[in-house]
Amino acid sequence: MTKMMYRDAVLSTIMEEMARDPDVVVLGEDVVGGMGTAGGPEAIGGIWSTSTGLYDRFGPGRVIDTPISESAIVGAAAGLALSGKRPVAELMFADFIGVCLDQLWNQIAKFRYMFGGKSRCPAVIRMAYGAGFNAAAQHSQSVHQILTGMPGLKVVMPATPADVKGLLRTAIRDDDPVIFLEHKALYATSGDVPDDPDFMIPFGHARLCRAGGDVTIVSTGLLLGMCEAAADRLAAEGIGCDVIDLRTTSPLDEETILDSVEVTGRLVVVDEAPPRCGLAADLRALVAEKAFSSLKAPPLQVTPPHTPIPFARELESAYLPSVDKIEDAVRRVLAWR
Amino acid sequence: MPDIRPFCMPKWGIEMTEGTLAEWKLEEGAAFSRGQLLCLIETAKITNEVEAEWDGVLARVLVPAGGDPQPVGALLAVLAEPGASAQDVDAFIAGFRPADASVAARGAAAPASAPAPAAEPAAPRPLLTNRAISPEARKLAEQSGLDIEPIEGSGRNGRITLQDVQQALRAPARPALQGALAAPEEDHAVFASPLARRLAALHGIALGSITGTGPRGRISKADVLALVPQPGSAPVIGTAPFVPVPNPPTVVPFDRVRKVVAQRLTQAKQEIPHFYLRTSARLDELLALRKTANLVLGSKATINDYLVRATALALAQHGDVNVQVHGDSVHRFAHADIAIAVASPKGLVTPIVRQADRQGIAAIAQATRALIDKAQAGKLAYEDMDGGTFSISNLGMFGVEEFAAIINPPQAAILAVGAAARRPCERADGSVGFETRLALTLSVDHRAIDGAAGAAFLATLKDLLETPERLFA
Amino acid sequence: MQLSREALLNAYRAMKTIREFEERLHVEIQTGEIAGFTHLYCGQEAVAVGVCEHLGTRDRIVSTHRGHGHCLAKGCDVEGMMKEIWGSREGLCKGKGGSMHIADADKGMLGANGIVGAGAPIAVGAALASRANGPGPDGLDVAIAFSGDGACNQGTTFEAMNLAVVTQAPCIFVFENNHYSEHTGFSYAVGTDRDIASRAEAFGMKAWRADGTDFFAVHETMREVLAHVRGGGGPAAVEFDTERFFGHFEGDPQRYRGPGEIDRIRAERDCLTRFRAAVTAAGLLEHSDIDALDTQVMDTIEAAVSAARAAARPTAEDVLADVYISY
Repeated sequence: MTKMMYRDAVLSTIMEEMARDPDVVVLGEDVVGGMGTAGGPEAIGGIWSTSTGLYDRFGPGRVIDTPISESAIVGAAAGLALSGKRPVAELMFADFIGVCLDQLWNQIAKFRYMFGGKSRCPAVIRMAYGAGFNAAAQHSQSVHQILTGMPGLKVVMPATPADVKGLLRTAIRDDDPVIFLEHKALYATSGDVPDDPDFMIPFGHARLCRAGGDVTIVSTGLLLGMCEAAADRLAAEGIGCDVIDLRTTSPLDEETILDSVEVTGRLVVVDEAPPRCGLAADLRALVAEKAFSSLKAPPLQVTPPHTPIPFARELESAYLPSVDKIEDAVRRVLAWR
Repeated sequence: MPDIRPFCMPKWGIEMTEGTLAEWKLEEGAAFSRGQLLCLIETAKITNEVEAEWDGVLARVLVPAGGDPQPVGALLAVLAEPGASAQDVDAFIAGFRPADASVAARGAAAPASAPAPAAEPAAPRPLLTNRAISPEARKLAEQSGLDIEPIEGSGRNGRITLQDVQQALRAPARPALQGALAAPEEDHAVFASPLARRLAALHGIALGSITGTGPRGRISKADVLALVPQPGSAPVIGTAPFVPVPNPPTVVPFDRVRKVVAQRLTQAKQEIPHFYLRTSARLDELLALRKTANLVLGSKATINDYLVRATALALAQHGDVNVQVHGDSVHRFAHADIAIAVASPKGLVTPIVRQADRQGIAAIAQATRALIDKAQAGKLAYEDMDGGTFSISNLGMFGVEEFAAIINPPQAAILAVGAAARRPCERADGSVGFETRLALTLSVDHRAIDGAAGAAFLATLKDLLETPERLFA
Repeated sequence: MQLSREALLNAYRAMKTIREFEERLHVEIQTGEIAGFTHLYCGQEAVAVGVCEHLGTRDRIVSTHRGHGHCLAKGCDVEGMMKEIWGSREGLCKGKGGSMHIADADKGMLGANGIVGAGAPIAVGAALASRANGPGPDGLDVAIAFSGDGACNQGTTFEAMNLAVVTQAPCIFVFENNHYSEHTGFSYAVGTDRDIASRAEAFGMKAWRADGTDFFAVHETMREVLAHVRGGGGPAAVEFDTERFFGHFEGDPQRYRGPGEIDRIRAERDCLTRFRAAVTAAGLLEHSDIDALDTQVMDTIEAAVSAARAAARPTAEDVLADVYISY
């Protein structure tokens, strides 16, 4: 085990995979940073420091710094993947899927199926998502609800450095297109990471962060920390929560959710995306359909309201789920009569 | 005019005609809130707790506890909102008319304290509110007289839904909590679901050796459960030295249900001249037949369901056992209503499978399942337990070999069923074999049924069980 | 540079195959037997063939919704394509793509595309793969983005051209200007004064212009373009002036055409007629050679249609196949 930051887990995994497989290439805005400036290449090394040093080590053939052209980035990743490469493209901010949605949704996601299974598109599209930095409505969003709804894409949302390592390696080696969502508020968090150079976590394999028999809490990414804090507070009162980290929203680990709800009979889904037509709604429908007879209370969701993300500190913290809101939801499912 | 409402003898089930006010839970003049226990009312079958449906004051008690039985609809007390004067209450009593004409007729012959006729008591009051509320929610709120103002509507923009009203009408939830557990350590070398990991840890099973059959080749709970050793292995005996500790009793007073059961059974055992007939029936044929029959019928009929069916058919043949004893007379019945004894959270209850002689095995299975579910949820209604011409008590599932039961009056017989057990027997060729036998003990009320009649019934029952094809006739 | 007799026969066969494939579809579609939208390439055959005759299977192309010609020119199987258009499970894409979504990665055909302008960035990606692989004995493998005059107005095309220039990717943007973006004229929809090629030049790449109805002009221009790109000169663009004989899609009433326009372009701007006239006048091929090819091609198309009609239909279970490699 080595202690490292979430962002270093991203970088070291890309570095290791590029060293292992010459077909792995990286592209994106400022992944090199400083191109065409007095500072020169690597003046920045990626705004999230998740590509620092790649250019120096692997050169311009495999580390492609692009203009601000998200459609071209994702499209080029598609072309690279169709041509036998394993591109790892970076979108900088997940909010930018708006300007390249066609390439994600109509192109990358559909190639394999539309072309009768013969085309492979092993592209990884990394993007930083999530609120918590007062970056307001266009740089804070959680977009997994949009991408998870697109057949053909796999969607990964690691919550810990170890999961970054295990899931990003799986993503790069996977033969399907993978959306890899990194929460920007997690980049500076640290954790133990296995040293095994082939350490991989299979997709569709949820993690149980806390165990307890009374309420099932399902979440992803940054919010898991809040779910764990709420579960710990409630445990002091004898209320036990299963806290499940989905890790991937597509494929979905239905089994772990249903196994847990069959015991607890109560579900709270905590999600950073807006409340309508999203992951929380989807999981609650899943449980209503497949664990109806186990339910002791209506499944609840803790999500932001149906509004864009506000800027001011007070507004953003009121907007986001919190430990208190999660705790309140757990108490509400328990109070159902 | 202050809000004054009558509190009348309720009607639980079609056959209830009267009830006894067993105990007032608060004094005259005392205030109560919604959901608070007002009184206990006893019928021939059960004792029920009556909860207040709104907040108010027990303004006047008209029927004291422990008195004579009162007809359904009789005015037992007057409830009012705080501040109602004695004159208001007097005026209300003077103007009260029971809803049911037959009660009014009986009321004429009732004691002087019984109510005088008056207007309709329980007309729903229209709900006056500006809150957004769904039509069904409004209907229920009006019927129940619920104050909707404290409700936080869960609908869009705070609209009150039917579910919100139903929630407000229920008592607060007190779920039994399981508490936190140790989350299983994640072993990255093995791909297993969290529940599979928990089970493996619980049973000391190494996951590494298992091939997963779950989604994406993962080890699922079923894979682990397949490896869990069957119960029966020897328990570990502790080696710590024995230290005696004080052992004081925990005193649990009888609740109302237990009081009634105690009183009834004492009376039955003391007053009814019981005699007992014992036999056993060979069950192998029935067990074999049940397997295929359940497959064919698509039912999950238990041995007990077959017993109910067989008993009902035997009772149909032996009308002299299908009886109740009422004072100096015997009541005979055309059909067999069989009470089955069920352990419930509220104690022993005896719901009834109606006209079991007219129902096929699948229908009986369905009926008993429904009754058992209701009993275990504590939701049996008065009409589920009213009547009955015969009872069956089965303790076979606990391994009891045989036992004798106390008759449940006014019935005149009860069948006690033990466990099916493998017993040695002499085969036709004289060799020794094994067969499955079921011990049956019939408790009989000698006042109504003679020994020979009971024995003939038991012989028919045994015969039906041993040639079970006839249960499908 | 003079083409061999065999090369000429091949080129004609390829163009004629596209022509007959499309003309036959035009007829078959009237019967209602073929589902969905079909966009015919008829009239532009000299471009697809003139470009693709230079390419090997390691060179990759990305096509458009009007992609039958590019697919056939790049070597996709005639029968497999016909079956795909018929929606058979024996089709090139198992009946899951249809007319607008035909691909054959083994042939370097990365896919036709139902979204106008979506292909150009993908071609740049293919070119970046080639750049990473480095040059072979004949120089770099190239990637070709076929686009129409409609796609030249899409931002994706601009992004792709800029990215190609910035990364010096061996990508060639082939603009087939057939003068119509769906139902709107080139002169209205393309704001640039002169043409599309000048836009590409503005992005910093070398651009060529040629008559897209003259096979020899296309072929000769592409020789120069490819020499530039394969040699590491960076991306390039070519604009071919060409004609669309049919509507935007099959069923298009074409009320936007001028009087006698279709008859005129069929008479004066038909690349097949011009090819035949040129080679027979120069004595390179006899009419009889070409007539023999016509018969061969007709037979091929007839056989492909019969096979498509008889081919197995997909079943409901096929809906779930081929979406993920693992899930």
